[in-house]
Amino acid sequence: MTVTVERGGRVTGKQDGAVHPRRARDSYALFLLPGAVAFLAVVIVPFLMNTGVSLTDWQGVGSPEWSGLANYRELLDDAEFWESFRHSLFMVVAMAALPTAVGLVLAAALFDYVGKHFGSRTAAVLRACFYLPQVLPIAVAGIVWSWILAPDDGSLNELLQAVGLGSWRQDWLGDPDLALWSVMGVMVWVQLGFPLVVFMAGLERVDPQLYEAAELDGAGWWRRFRHITVPQIRPEIYVVLTWCTIAALKVFGAVYVLTKGGPGGATNVPSYFSFTTFFEKTQVGYGAAISTVLTVIILALSVIGLRLQTRAEDAEEGARA
Amino acid sequence: MARRGTASAAAVLAGSLLLASCGGSDGGGTSDAKTLRLWHYEAPNSAMGVAWTAAIKEFEAQHPGVKVEFEEKSFDQIQKTAPMVLNSSDAPDLMEYNKGNATAGLLSKQGLLTDLSAEVTKRGWDKLLSPGVRTTSRYDANGVMGSGKWYGVPNYAEYTMVYFNKELFAKYRLAEPKTFDDLVAAMDTFAENKITPLANSGAEYLAQQYVYQLALSRADRSWVDSYELYKGKTDFHDAAWTYAADTFADWVKKGYIGKSSTSAKAEDAGVSFLQGKAPILFSGSWWYGRFQDEATFDWGTTLWPGSNLTPGSGGNLWVVPKSAHNKELAYDFIDITMSKKIQNLLGNKGGVPVAADTAAITDPKSKELIANFNTLSGRDGLAFYPDWPVPGFYDVLVSETQKLITGSEKPDDYLDALREAYDKGVPKT
Repeated sequence: MTVTVERGGRVTGKQDGAVHPRRARDSYALFLLPGAVAFLAVVIVPFLMNTGVSLTDWQGVGSPEWSGLANYRELLDDAEFWESFRHSLFMVVAMAALPTAVGLVLAAALFDYVGKHFGSRTAAVLRACFYLPQVLPIAVAGIVWSWILAPDDGSLNELLQAVGLGSWRQDWLGDPDLALWSVMGVMVWVQLGFPLVVFMAGLERVDPQLYEAAELDGAGWWRRFRHITVPQIRPEIYVVLTWCTIAALKVFGAVYVLTKGGPGGATNVPSYFSFTTFFEKTQVGYGAAISTVLTVIILALSVIGLRLQTRAEDAEEGARA
Repeated sequence: MARRGTASAAAVLAGSLLLASCGGSDGGGTSDAKTLRLWHYEAPNSAMGVAWTAAIKEFEAQHPGVKVEFEEKSFDQIQKTAPMVLNSSDAPDLMEYNKGNATAGLLSKQGLLTDLSAEVTKRGWDKLLSPGVRTTSRYDANGVMGSGKWYGVPNYAEYTMVYFNKELFAKYRLAEPKTFDDLVAAMDTFAENKITPLANSGAEYLAQQYVYQLALSRADRSWVDSYELYKGKTDFHDAAWTYAADTFADWVKKGYIGKSSTSAKAEDAGVSFLQGKAPILFSGSWWYGRFQDEATFDWGTTLWPGSNLTPGSGGNLWVVPKSAHNKELAYDFIDITMSKKIQNLLGNKGGVPVAADTAAITDPKSKELIANFNTLSGRDGLAFYPDWPVPGFYDVLVSETQKLITGSEKPDDYLDALREAYDKGVPKT
């Protein structure tokens, strides 16, 4: 029998009478079982429990009192929640859109220009440098950045002073008009390495003859980037965008370390809002409602992202066929 | 056959995983009568840390064969997980915990703490604690402090004071701040000389304590009782709160409080005082020992001039979880921390003991600290802390006071925001 695994995990079999496709499916299912049970235990069950808690008025101890959809109704009118959610959209720009765009250009430049002119080792070193923030624990990166951005003797302000731009000194994390932009800047720095590495790996599988042919035809770097690099690594772009958008929606550590949602709520995001509601205000039911809404939003966006990716890939394959 | 075996193994593994994830963990804690499980969060070199370490040694000496299993926790760790831990079988026998309605009060209301009333009377701890210090030990059925059963015992006290850099005051020929006018005159002079006089942290508790202290300077005990103990209606637009918010905003405008302190942490404020950058710091006695150790200049302290009341209370509480296994050992340990030996040690290390022998405190700075506390305690001046009345109020105060510093909110709107959060959280009964 020849068993073929199609994209998307479908299994087909040319039956020769020796092995039935149903039994082949069963054997695969067996391998999936531990993972499925673990998923059930650490994701599905806690999520259902959290949803259950969100329908109660509970302080975390004692008996929860059933409150139905009251927490969700309150959430709809909670300006603080919607403000935090608006900040999340800014974080999507900082953690998904910008790193993907910049990472794409940088990956292409490292692969197609630096690698060719300065050698692959130089490109690899630069790639590692960009990836370094991804290796650092966010708590460490956050503390270091809070020193850099400190208002009085922070390195950034000292640097501005030293180069004669003292009038540009700012309270980067303490000014409500600037704080969100500062956190976004830090997150671009943190996040950039991930798309860069994924895109460079993607570029490894692009046929070099495409670039050579384009170069012979007189295509410059920008045209090669637009017409070869971007279309060839489109699947990686979808994956990175989906992954980073999810990371942006649930960002917590950076906000906790850098600003604790301040000043005056200027950098509050839903996950931090949920955390303070849970642990500081001990409104566990309400905190659970925030988490549930956030999870549903993330799930919906993930499904949309994956659908778009599949549809685009199918369209590409169709066009090739 | 082999495949069936694999399937069974996978099922067993998966089943155990599910059970492991759903079942309770034993946490590895021991519960035999020969072990006292103790959690606290005092730094080893702080006055309390040193005293509790000595108390552990004393306890083991007095209880041959009994071992103290001490786990060092952080304040945040205990604050955020206590309800869950105390609701499980992992609870220690004795734990240090934050005092107030939103913390110890909440746990006592939920039935997670042991009622210590009988033990307190039997061992005479109540006689050692002054009324102001005792307030945070007792909670009523609604978890409101000040009356009801004893759920915790504090072994030290804490209060806020003005720390000032004597050398900088001398340099600018300023009188030490004995009156409120002295304080304002000094701040004016420093501001004129491009020095921000007050060390502040907008991202943590210092800023809100400035506001609260300003309000307290126009308040009396019944005002505090209304705000903290709900014994009356709190009006956030009364003379005291209005004066506090207006004055704080004015002080930011005048440069007494730096606008760039919005994102500063308490540690930043302490360091700016220690580095001689900020000549005045208004904060708690918990800084005292550290300043004794680390300040390289001559400094002094005074109670906030022109105010009978100041933020302060009994220290953190020893609480005995309801599910503790060795309660008798826990009571014995508390008793040792109340002994003269441990209390004197605490006093000499820069803490504020509640039952020390005055003659045994030999360090002059420590004597000054305790003398100021006795003055305050004698006039019933401990006014607790601004964030205590309702759960989550600390964050509201931080966030709103930051807006007051940046000028993005007017004092009137600031007080409205406080009122809204307070009214939402205050017990309805």
